[in-house]
Amino acid sequence: MQSFKNSKFYGFMILAAMVLFFYALFKILTPSNFGSPANLYSYFQSSIIYSVGGCGLYFIVVMGLFDFAVGANIVLSSIVGVILSEKFGYAGFIIGCIGCGTLIGVIIGMLYNRLNVPSMIVTVGIMLILESVAVFTAGGVKQTLAPELRFFSGAPGNIILAAFAFALMWFILNYTRIGTYCNAIGSNEFTAKNMGIDVKKYKLIGFALLHFFVGIMAILTVSYGTTMTALTGMSTMSRNFQPLMGTFFGVAFRKYGTPISAIVIGEFIIAIIFNGFVALGAPTTIQNVVTGGALLAIVTLTARGGRGSVVK
Amino acid sequence: MEKGKILLNAEHIDKRFGITHAVNDVSLTVSAGEIRALIGENGSGKSTFCQMLCGIYTIGGGTFTLDGQEVHVKNQVEANKLGVSIIVQEMGTLSGLTVAENIFLGHEDPFMHNGIKDTRAMIKEGQRLLDEYGFSGIRAGSMIDSYNFEDRKLVEIVKATYMKPKILIVDETTTALSQNGRLELYKIMDAVRADGRSVIFISHDLNEILTHCDTISILRDGEYIDTVNAKEIDEDGLKRLMVGREIGSAYYRTDYGKAISPEVVLSVKDVTVPNQIYDVSFELHRGEILGFGGLSECGMHEVGKAVFGASLDRKGTVTLADGTQINDIPTAIHHSIAYASKDRDNESIILNESIRNNIVLPSLDDLAENHILKAGKLNRFAQEFADKMQTKMQGIHQFISDLSGGNKQKVVLARWLGKGSDILVLDSPTRGIDVKVKQAIYALMQELTAQGKSIIMISEEIPELLGMSDRILIMKDGKINGEFMRSESLSEEDLIAKMV
Repeated sequence: MQSFKNSKFYGFMILAAMVLFFYALFKILTPSNFGSPANLYSYFQSSIIYSVGGCGLYFIVVMGLFDFAVGANIVLSSIVGVILSEKFGYAGFIIGCIGCGTLIGVIIGMLYNRLNVPSMIVTVGIMLILESVAVFTAGGVKQTLAPELRFFSGAPGNIILAAFAFALMWFILNYTRIGTYCNAIGSNEFTAKNMGIDVKKYKLIGFALLHFFVGIMAILTVSYGTTMTALTGMSTMSRNFQPLMGTFFGVAFRKYGTPISAIVIGEFIIAIIFNGFVALGAPTTIQNVVTGGALLAIVTLTARGGRGSVVK
Repeated sequence: MEKGKILLNAEHIDKRFGITHAVNDVSLTVSAGEIRALIGENGSGKSTFCQMLCGIYTIGGGTFTLDGQEVHVKNQVEANKLGVSIIVQEMGTLSGLTVAENIFLGHEDPFMHNGIKDTRAMIKEGQRLLDEYGFSGIRAGSMIDSYNFEDRKLVEIVKATYMKPKILIVDETTTALSQNGRLELYKIMDAVRADGRSVIFISHDLNEILTHCDTISILRDGEYIDTVNAKEIDEDGLKRLMVGREIGSAYYRTDYGKAISPEVVLSVKDVTVPNQIYDVSFELHRGEILGFGGLSECGMHEVGKAVFGASLDRKGTVTLADGTQINDIPTAIHHSIAYASKDRDNESIILNESIRNNIVLPSLDDLAENHILKAGKLNRFAQEFADKMQTKMQGIHQFISDLSGGNKQKVVLARWLGKGSDILVLDSPTRGIDVKVKQAIYALMQELTAQGKSIIMISEEIPELLGMSDRILIMKDGKINGEFMRSESLSEEDLIAKMV
């Protein structure tokens, strides 16, 4: 029989306990600046943007792959979406962001399969290319989303879109072959191949799905910030990590059968910690150090392998 | 299916891996309603032959005709669809999936409706199958990771057989199963035969083969030798066919009454590893082979790890004659203790490395000159000990993953011979190994003890314990439950009585 410690309920309990712990910690440290219901709602709204990207990354991270081009694709897809929205309104905006995002995912997947080199190397190369393409596409001009197209900039638009993304991921993981096959490939690619799984095809699907979610993230990102500027010199790199932190939570809580909740709540926890430090007035450097440290602590406490187990 | 009808016709099957001719023009037939054993030394081509039949390897040459139809299988799922399935020796289930997902991996179609998977129906069907096989303790909806190796093997048996394959291949599976698990597997094999289908059974346990198989095909060095009726041959006859010469009575030790040296080289006192072993105490003497036996979960394998300093949360002491306490692996190796794990591929060798690097690994400090390692010296060292163990290889730079189980074990032993270890902890030293290599390993053990080295031999094979040990400790429920001295009158029943 499955033990209580492996149950979904136990996974939820740990996540809830972490939320309460960090909330209580900052509420005690800075009661007036942190943690009002309005504040929490605001933290949640900012965190769901990263959660959507975290959901996408889950498909490839679980297969043992990695993608450094997420940030660059957010920028490029946002710019494409904003440019198309000027002619086609919401349709252009949504199709531009998601279509561009997904197309880039397909290209990355195809290149990865064709070149047969590690995903990290392929995606670093793609990141550099995408950054330059974004600059050319934007014509060196900051792209601003028209005020009448900002339904997704706040509630309920952003929550509806994010909820759609989470539901879609839940459906894919539980009710299609993709979820099963991604896990199988991550577990043992050779055996998966012998089971008739077209490993290359599902890696391509993994990248395409990741960047479909990145497209959704681009909609939420540019709606939230209203503008997007194309930058070069690997400046999009920093955008990779916040969604990835949520993915780490998802992978860590996979054993409880709650990866999506873990991604969403995990990003919320990171938002609490980050905003807690803002409320404390800590400098950005310190905030980053503590946020990184908190992530390591959380993942160590929750996802650490048993003693003696091999961790790579 | 009509019994006696030819179900599988393999004609001129051939396969090369580089310069190794793994399967050389093998032709044989398997009839409906028979259990056919496929035997041979390690590296004789048995597994490669079967893996071509089920699409794990591509066919190098020749044809398989299954039930009258020529087949060219690309992968296991295609093989399954054509009516061939396989249960492998090592772990064949995938982590991160549920039990049901593992059972139906690659066969999800009955549960797919317009691209949507009916997860509930899949779990329900998986559970129905598990219940039908008598494995109700395994829950189809649970993650496979929450089950132990043997339970996962049972899931694999369900996966390989639920679709009623025309040919079921059982490749060295029984060594991974307890007695109960083996009985379940034998029942399934009997049912396949009774149903007019066929089993190809690969094992190194000749007694098991003679008991459970109808016919036996022998391969040697990739070539087909003969097919014999199990009722018309004995173990010695099979050994002769496998090896090409008499193996005879020199298989185990023949000496009795040898006095054990009073000199204690290792003392284990009150060793406890939570949930594994409790208050285990014993002494190992100079030149002694100390056998450890018991049922698979009795804790004997943990004793080996505890002595080598590899156990977690170990209490009690492991002390050498000079008073050195062994609490970790580096100390153990530094003080001349060697350990060969039962789980060879995961714990004893580095699969993605060359034979040379596997051999020199613990000896690098000794081989370095002013902290500099010279390739020539490493090569000579590895070659010397690989040759000493008569390892069948293309060269020391060949990857160890290319070798058969028996030759991998030879590399493990070559490593510790090279290190010059005085105390060897050998856990299941002949697991999955053919008679010829077995004989070589037994001879080596005797040679080592004659040199004054001491061996702790952990074994699930009672004849091996009786045949090789100076003294036998039987474990039950994590504790030592009996001690026997080497004697001609000691019987399997004496040991079993202390195991159960």
